[in-house]
Amino acid sequence: MNPRALVIIPAHDEAESLPRTLDEVRAVAPECDVLVVDDGSTDGTADAARAKGVPTLRHPFNLGVGAALQTGFRWAVERGYAIGVQLDADGQHDPRYLSALIAEVREGRCDVAIGSRYITATGYRAPFARRLGMLLFSGVVRLALGKPIADTTSGFRAYGHEVMKVCQNDFPRDFPDAPLLIMLARRGFRLLEVPVEMRQRTAGTSFYTLSKSLYYPYKNLLASLMALLRRST
Amino acid sequence: MEFLSRAQVIVAVGALALALYVLDLVRRRRLAEEYSLLWVISSVAIAALGFSTPLLRTITRALGVLFESSTVFAFGIGFATLMLLFLSVRMSRLAQENQTLARELALLRFEIESASRSRTSS
Repeated sequence: MNPRALVIIPAHDEAESLPRTLDEVRAVAPECDVLVVDDGSTDGTADAARAKGVPTLRHPFNLGVGAALQTGFRWAVERGYAIGVQLDADGQHDPRYLSALIAEVREGRCDVAIGSRYITATGYRAPFARRLGMLLFSGVVRLALGKPIADTTSGFRAYGHEVMKVCQNDFPRDFPDAPLLIMLARRGFRLLEVPVEMRQRTAGTSFYTLSKSLYYPYKNLLASLMALLRRST
Repeated sequence: MEFLSRAQVIVAVGALALALYVLDLVRRRRLAEEYSLLWVISSVAIAALGFSTPLLRTITRALGVLFESSTVFAFGIGFATLMLLFLSVRMSRLAQENQTLARELALLRFEIESASRSRTSS
């Protein structure tokens, strides 16, 4: 087993902000390896990553952020990484918190460490509709797991090797949020929230666009229910 | 043979023609056998209802439907719905397989590129 942690950065059309994110990770967390998964970008995101000397996988077309992560998990499992951390390319996630997330998994306090912007006051304030959605889904997760997860939509998470082994085959394709947490908890993995600060995006557009905002609650409610109904294997 | 209306004849002949066309598509390998099944069953069933007025009358009365034509339409819509559901299931599977292939391709391509890079550098 490779004791190092792999930072997996799914990126779709992030050529502008990705180089800065990569520099930051290298400066703040030199002990981590980095992998970029370019999810079918058309703006040279993969080239931007390769120019920084970072191993880069490239999907031939856009598959969704979940699929990009899944590819990253597969790569991490094949190379025996003990821990994989999911980090956004757009600079929203502050790499200074990488060590805190990794430590929780490495020291065995949990199998999945979730970087949460809600368990302490961090100055982050989401738009109203998003807050409503988060409230709904933390409620769903609480009902399903019997324990609260304040920030279900956080994409800043560290996963242990065994979790990645499951996720490389079974992972939501588009919104890896509440249903994923329910699925992981049902399989007996321990989830833990770690307070982090999140920043405003520096460039590019969010994976969560307006057109998806109507589909999102439907898909995630249904997927959460199904994750709960599926037998935990 | 007794027909209730001209429309019944048209429906019956049309359904029979569709069944033959579907079979011809299979013969020319344009349609896979598994996809033809539901088409053949549905068009043959509609043709049977169209050609046999006693059968159509019996089923209509048994179902409590007022008009014979409604029975034919109900069967048609039922089959169409089944077909669409079947196709949605197939499409979901294809999308899943497509995604797996694309991800596999990304991983393989990385291996090939790093292998050729290490060969040129050594």
